[in-house]
Amino acid sequence: MSRDNRVLLLIGSPKKAGSTSESLGDYLLGSLGNKGFETEKIQVVQALRTPEGISELLWATDTADILLLVFPLYVDSLHSGVIRALELIACHRAELKQRRRQKLVAISNSGFPEAHHSEVALAICRRFAGQAGFDWAGGLALGGGEAIAGIPLDKAGGRARFARQALDMVADALEKGMPVPQEAVELMGRPFIPKWMYIWFGSMGWKRLAKKNGVLHDLQCRPFE
Amino acid sequence: MKALLLDGSHAGDKALLSARTILSDELPAKGWTVEGVTLRDTKIAQCIGCFGCWVKTPGRCFMNDAGNDIARSMVRSDLLLLLTPVTFGGYSSELKKALDRVICIVLPFFARISGEVHHKPRYQRYPALVAIGSLPAVDEESEGIFRSLVSRNALNFFSPLHEVKMVYDWQIPDDILMTLKPVVEMRRSGNVAG
Ligand SMILES: Cc1cc2nc3c(=O)[nH]c(=O)nc-3n(C[C@H](O)[C@H](O)[C@H](O)COP(=O)(O)O)c2cc1C
Repeated sequence: MSRDNRVLLLIGSPKKAGSTSESLGDYLLGSLGNKGFETEKIQVVQALRTPEGISELLWATDTADILLLVFPLYVDSLHSGVIRALELIACHRAELKQRRRQKLVAISNSGFPEAHHSEVALAICRRFAGQAGFDWAGGLALGGGEAIAGIPLDKAGGRARFARQALDMVADALEKGMPVPQEAVELMGRPFIPKWMYIWFGSMGWKRLAKKNGVLHDLQCRPFE
Repeated sequence: MKALLLDGSHAGDKALLSARTILSDELPAKGWTVEGVTLRDTKIAQCIGCFGCWVKTPGRCFMNDAGNDIARSMVRSDLLLLLTPVTFGGYSSELKKALDRVICIVLPFFARISGEVHHKPRYQRYPALVAIGSLPAVDEESEGIFRSLVSRNALNFFSPLHEVKMVYDWQIPDDILMTLKPVVEMRRSGNVAG
């Protein structure tokens, strides 16, 4: 096969299971698998726990043609474990004698409903690509990621409709050797419900969880004052 | 006036070592109490993304380590100083492991700030934010990303003011002192110019 063949999905959520990152990543990886790509998935934060996990991560990044880094927004950036992985990968690649052309696509999801909160995090990914010798193939951001919360995208109904369309476009583009199309970026960032409704559902959700844990009345406490 | 200094440098980062020495010497002379934390020597568990600090043990993480101590110091400080090698435009993983643990200082509930959604504050006051980033040499792209990151953090952590200073590996301590002079001379109510 002359085109890029191996795709590596790097999940950048610290959650072992049930992350929105994994829902997004699995959907895209599934589409690429159906198009004949060889696929592999690594949970980055878990991989860093052992020397074997780190070696496997470095080996997999060396041999992939396309890397998909899918992560949640953490304090306007990436989770500390993912930054650690990027530091290790960049350091490892600086020592490589030969590097092939490899692409990096990054997909962020944030708790806040506006996709643009992820702009800085995607800029960090793009800078990483430049510094570690990957071709930057584009970044996408989903706002209101908590609405998906690990549900497989094809079972997530209307709330994931734009995400699915966007990822289908990304899969088609990658198959053709093209970068992420702007139309996909716009679709991924399109709100699936009005902002006020997301805020309302969010508040109800936090209260419900707090009630379940018996701390509803302590929700606003200030233990460090 | 209290300052919390989170040192996210790698061992051997000369520019950040100079910056830390300058801040630790000069700020007390201006009436500040400085608490310094060398993050690479501090055991802090990584955030696991459970939101327990909002809905199980509100306001604190269930992992009761230095992550909670840092969150406590942060809300009791007037100034938060972040020292970090600029890493792909962002923070080092050492600094980030501490920052991921401090979301307990805001509430889970959302508020609109200038039309954007953010969290509501948990506390009445939050520290000013000064970030000092080190680089081997001038790198406009990384510096631009770094400045944007710090201003987004300032917005999300309700910092009354924020400032970014860059230091470079080739600088001698006197150059770094000049760069940090406005920080050393700042007042909580004032601003960091220069
Ligand atoms: C420590 C921490 C920091 C976070 N910081 C942000 C943030 O800065 N902006 C934002 O929109 N969401 C933030 N979030 C929310 C997550 O991005 C959101 O819950 C996301 O959907 C989680 O995705 P995942 O399931 O793939 O882990 C944060 C969550 C945690 C636990």
